[in-house]
Amino acid sequence: MLAVFLKEFRSYFTSAIGYIFIGTFLLITGIFFTMYNLLSSSPAYNGTLQSLIIIFLFIIPILTMKIMSEETKNKTDQLLFTSPLKISDIVLGKYFAALAIFTISLLITVLYPLILSKFGTVSVSEIFTGYIGIFLLGATLISLGLFVSSLTENQVTSAVISFSVLLFIFLMDNIQRALPSTRNSSIIFVLIVVVIFTLFVYFSTKNLIAALITLVVGLILTVSVYLLKKEAFDGLLQKVFDWFSLIKRYNLFSQGVLSLNSAVYYLSFIAAFVFLTIRMVDKRRWS
Amino acid sequence: MIEIENVTKRYGDQVALDGISFTVEKGEILGFLGPNGAGKSTAMNILTGYISTSEGNVRIDGIDMLKNPEAAKRKIGYLPEIPPLYLDMTVEEYLKFVHKIKKVKSDAIEPSMIRIMSLVKISDVRKRLIKNLSKGYKQRVGLAQALVGDPEVLILDEPTVGLDPKQIIEIRNLIQQIGKKHTIMLSSHILSEVSAICHRVIIINKGKIVASGTPEELSKKVNNSNKILLRVKGAKQDIYKKIREMEDVELVKDQGVHEPGTVDLLVEAKDDIDIRETLFLSLSRAGFVILMMKGKDIDLEEIFLEVTTTSNKGGIQ
Repeated sequence: MLAVFLKEFRSYFTSAIGYIFIGTFLLITGIFFTMYNLLSSSPAYNGTLQSLIIIFLFIIPILTMKIMSEETKNKTDQLLFTSPLKISDIVLGKYFAALAIFTISLLITVLYPLILSKFGTVSVSEIFTGYIGIFLLGATLISLGLFVSSLTENQVTSAVISFSVLLFIFLMDNIQRALPSTRNSSIIFVLIVVVIFTLFVYFSTKNLIAALITLVVGLILTVSVYLLKKEAFDGLLQKVFDWFSLIKRYNLFSQGVLSLNSAVYYLSFIAAFVFLTIRMVDKRRWS
Repeated sequence: MIEIENVTKRYGDQVALDGISFTVEKGEILGFLGPNGAGKSTAMNILTGYISTSEGNVRIDGIDMLKNPEAAKRKIGYLPEIPPLYLDMTVEEYLKFVHKIKKVKSDAIEPSMIRIMSLVKISDVRKRLIKNLSKGYKQRVGLAQALVGDPEVLILDEPTVGLDPKQIIEIRNLIQQIGKKHTIMLSSHILSEVSAICHRVIIINKGKIVASGTPEELSKKVNNSNKILLRVKGAKQDIYKKIREMEDVELVKDQGVHEPGTVDLLVEAKDDIDIRETLFLSLSRAGFVILMMKGKDIDLEEIFLEVTTTSNKGGIQ
């Protein structure tokens, strides 16, 4: 894993991507810092950190776009996958390399609160928690980008899809508010999910019986939940969207609350997407 | 050393490999021949564990590729059709990386690199970026990569493609030299190459093995001993007429004029009858001078064409 990590880390600096990422990140954080803290003489640094989320939308796709797709396109994956390395070593090595670039950029910005502390009092614990939160959020979004990159061999496609996914996550809280919370709309939502899942089972197994079983089981579950506990459907859409809201969980960190719950949530999210990427790469070898 | 058992690979409804089985013995150089799209690269990708089989087993030195891929892959060096090179690295950095991922001990890396670079003659470009190298050098770096870790089995997919004639000869000699210590399987569509280097040849077409054996064995299998090349002095029409009069002659084909006043012909006898004597006697009696008579050599090229075009009818085994 170390060999892949080092190779990948180096490759960010032999191409322009590493410089573009770190450069853009520092430029925009610098602008935010100057505007929110220096010019307005404010010690509230976590507000500056929070506005960094919008930069993630643009720069994380740049960081992750080539991570898996470039190897597939240049056929260098033939070297990696015919070597005695495990697929998990390869994927993790690449993930940690992207994470390292992100961490380096983030560490440089620690200079800003240090500068602030020269001129006034800053809450060290609050800023520390803020940094943990932004690190976890960034790490989670990188794992998403990693997964998207394993889906295609075209870097541009990879970047565009990652951008759209991140944009959706970014807007999720707003979308959630606009969604209907009635019982019927929740039932329709559940049925749509069941149908999508059935289609997924059908297209991945090409087995009509398996797909029908999935559909029937899904419908039985929905009906039985409806009969036993109707109120479970109230506001279900909101609950589901709420559960997937990555940004909302960050807000706790931003307020200086070191939430173990959210940390575990982010780490599970990362683990799930790294695992999905490994499965995706493996699946390509089987199909 | 390499055992392939009933391997089938399907892409959706399309069958790329259809139940092929063969073995490669230790120290053998096996040539894998086939027209484009025959399934050569698919077979090689399966052998090296890059893609998996739909059915069937692959064993390298007794180790199952599916059950213990890491151990099986340690025994293989693979040069794919397009060498898997990181263009932004120098030759030295690239080979060092390959050594690391092939889990060569760190103190053995430097001597191994020097040995491999001098073997494939890339020591003089070791500090250069791979993207600035010529195609021939890139191919050599690809070959160097396959040799890392001293694998017992080398799988080379079209190793001489895109090289100039001098480089082709160099690479061929190199493969023969390496072949003394390693088991090699190489694919090619250049037949002279396979007959020059390989101990044994397997011809595949449309995902099936249509012929296998040593180059000599294959020549015998498609032996056309009843075909004779002739150069006769005299008028073309008269010679044709005379030969056609002979009972055992099945076919006479014009081979053009190579010497003024003579004709070249290909005479095919019925079944396996040796018609050389009767040909000589009847032509000389009629006053035609035979300047040349020889049995037609069958080279691998013709075998290849014959088996790949007749494979739909069952081919030859």
